[in-house]
Amino acid sequence: MRAIRNSAICLKDCLCLYICPTGATDTETGQIDANKCTGCGMCARACPAHAITIVPKVYPVQQPKTKKVVEPLYVLAKSWAKGELIADSLSRSENPVERQFAVALRESFRRQGEDLFREAGYMLPQSKNVREMLMNMIMNEMDPNFPKDAALKLLQLLQEQDR
Amino acid sequence: MAKYICTLCKYVYDEDVGIPEKGIAPGTKWSDLPDDWVCPLCGSRKKDFELMGEQASVPTSVKDEKPEPRVVNTGSELDGTVKVPAGYGDDDLRALSYAEAAVLCSNLSKGCEKQYLMEESAAFKKISDYYMSKAGTVEGTFDDLMALIEENLSTNDEALRIGKKSGDRGAYRVTLWNNSVSKILASLLQRFSDEGNAMLENTNIYVCDICGFIYVGDEPPAICPICKVPSVKLLKVRRD
Repeated sequence: MRAIRNSAICLKDCLCLYICPTGATDTETGQIDANKCTGCGMCARACPAHAITIVPKVYPVQQPKTKKVVEPLYVLAKSWAKGELIADSLSRSENPVERQFAVALRESFRRQGEDLFREAGYMLPQSKNVREMLMNMIMNEMDPNFPKDAALKLLQLLQEQDR
Repeated sequence: MAKYICTLCKYVYDEDVGIPEKGIAPGTKWSDLPDDWVCPLCGSRKKDFELMGEQASVPTSVKDEKPEPRVVNTGSELDGTVKVPAGYGDDDLRALSYAEAAVLCSNLSKGCEKQYLMEESAAFKKISDYYMSKAGTVEGTFDDLMALIEENLSTNDEALRIGKKSGDRGAYRVTLWNNSVSKILASLLQRFSDEGNAMLENTNIYVCDICGFIYVGDEPPAICPICKVPSVKLLKVRRD
């Protein structure tokens, strides 16, 4: 387990600094040092603003999905991806109001698409699906512009948390 | 007198009360509201309302007596080139277009951000941006977007039935939010077609960063009427 701090909620009461036995909460980034945190949970219990949460280092496997349930989600996601490309073209219109409306639609399509993928078997970044996806990309992407370094780094960073 | 409820955000129009602050006098009949009247909370159209007391406020598409859904056609308009696991746990692969791969990876970037894994989040973002740069351009009009949304709503009806029957609450939830947001986007596209620039010229537009709900108005509502997130997540889109 480790502690994470939501900086949007943190009111700088700073009780976590007094309480942390390893000094993990005292950093210049506003984040809790994952290497020092032992996951004891004292800071989360002490924080008056409830800005600290304890999360596991290893997440449970995702809820199983059936083919029947995910298929229509992928159909919808495909359609939103197309909508996003059309809206993106419209966001280069000469009319500034059209551009503004098109950007709003583009963002809406992206949010909905992301949400669909999340529920179609890609919720947890530390899952088997995601690891296999990354390995496939590394093997199949021949374009030198593919950020292979990022994909390799993800396999390495997310490895420990995978079951 | 009657009450009508918005099936998307549950706003209730009460004929006895009207909406005096918007110039709709108490006693104004539903049928006397203009055809282009929209829900003051979420912007849905009159056809997205139903008479209260007549039927439960679940979307009409989720009734159990509907026949077994047909197999969904997964044929693609945009070529699938990126092979990823199919999402249901066996060895099947699914071919995604570049644009879809970009969306899948930006979803994972957000997933890492939620866990405060900032380095991982940035790496997924980089991969997402790469795929978006390969996605190319699809020319189209606002009318094309309206057609796409209408088509999505029919796919969505099936997805709602399947999701509800399967007991997969997450799949049902995302389909329900997509359904509501789609109807609101259709309402806005219709308004934009009727009103043109006037729809936005003297007001603001916000997008919900969680569910994609779009709100047109001076100030965003206190919570998103679809996913109920507080207004800090309703992001303003500026006119450049």
